[in-house]
Amino acid sequence: MNAPVHTRCSIVPPYLLSRLAGLEDPRHHNAAAAARRALVQLDPIHSARATAPRDPSRGAGTAVVLALRRTISDAYGTETLPGEAVRREGDPPVGDVAVDEAYDGLGATYGLFQEVYGRSSIDDAGLPLDATVHYGQRYDNAFWDGFRMVFGDGDGEIFGRFTASLTVIGHELAHGFTQYTSNLRYQGQSGALNESVSDVFGVLVEQRVRGESADTAGWLVGEGIFTDQVQGRALRSLKAPGTAHDDDVLGKDPQPATMADYVETTSDNGGVHINSGIPNHAFYIAATRLGGYAWERAGQIWYDAATGGNVPEDCTFSRFADVTVDAAKARFGEGSPEVEAVGYAWREVDVL
Amino acid sequence: MTRIEVSRSGGFAGLSRTWSVEVSPAEAEERWLPLLEQAEAENAETLQRDRFIYHIVVVGYRDATVPESAVQGPWKELLERARNAPPEEPAEELPDEPAEEPGGHT
Repeated sequence: MNAPVHTRCSIVPPYLLSRLAGLEDPRHHNAAAAARRALVQLDPIHSARATAPRDPSRGAGTAVVLALRRTISDAYGTETLPGEAVRREGDPPVGDVAVDEAYDGLGATYGLFQEVYGRSSIDDAGLPLDATVHYGQRYDNAFWDGFRMVFGDGDGEIFGRFTASLTVIGHELAHGFTQYTSNLRYQGQSGALNESVSDVFGVLVEQRVRGESADTAGWLVGEGIFTDQVQGRALRSLKAPGTAHDDDVLGKDPQPATMADYVETTSDNGGVHINSGIPNHAFYIAATRLGGYAWERAGQIWYDAATGGNVPEDCTFSRFADVTVDAAKARFGEGSPEVEAVGYAWREVDVL
Repeated sequence: MTRIEVSRSGGFAGLSRTWSVEVSPAEAEERWLPLLEQAEAENAETLQRDRFIYHIVVVGYRDATVPESAVQGPWKELLERARNAPPEEPAEELPDEPAEEPGGHT
């Protein structure tokens, strides 16, 4: 009942404790119990979660922690989902680079939301995180299907595997985050905001893992997923939308940076992957004006805006801008540098 | 011959690609026009994000938009044929506008 506990002054991050606490293998019983106790000592939120029922059918007294629970499946080149589970939470690396990148990327994304914003998985209720790799033949895409992330291996000529960039994994998982929060409609401006929220949290996951501050980060989405034959560094740039690539086959990066270049189109759900350049650039401007780590203040403001209940499903850019300014005021106070930076950013892209 | 153009947009990358294939007028009428007619019902909103969207034009007749999740059976056959057809001489850089009349180029 009382296994030795050395976790009181723990250097183990909370998400790792949560993960340990969720281990169900009897061999890890002591570690799991110790982690649960350490979590209880950490803060009241963890404490409440640690004593919440995981499954009512298990009966009273079963301690429960909402923890990181990843399952990576392999579609083996088919388009059948979910495929076969090949790496579950706590399993060692399997040696398949796509499987292991997906596993680590889910952990890094979970870590941003859990450790920085205090969110338990994308639904804030400990949703297990599932991904499928090796989807399809020469499949040039990664997507969120409403329940899981799915990654193709690329065609080998233009695209390599889509798990190669942490920003892609963060982007897809952030679609799940948006699904459980503002549920921005995937069309026109609200769709471009949906895309932008995914790009923003995708780059923040990577910046945090790399320890990059706003002024040293590359602010690229999808760096490393092109083959060497492509003229371009990445798919999108928050720092300089429209400059991420310029290639004979792919064409030039079509993203606008300001409302003056907003693209009206019927393709791509009304240009959701194009006009996201505008809110993306606003985030970049706010983050660099504030300096330091972008996930701390600018990221917190965007997180607060997305989760605060004031973003309607059919949100426009200007409404979203207002919500971020209000979120900055609520967290940092009227007249704070944060409020100034966010307002300045949206004016720079001609949204406010 | 009747020309069928397939434009793919969306996807994580958001990069558009266009392919086309020539079929006989009889085939277009018997197989592909009825398929496009029934596509209208397949455009419900879903939770899926970053998937491809296909815009298919039987040039001179009709067009339809089909989400990737609905691409099965005959749709899949049509898209594969367009993708594997030999490229045309003129670059197909036209954005998704109605194209020229069938058999119009030299």
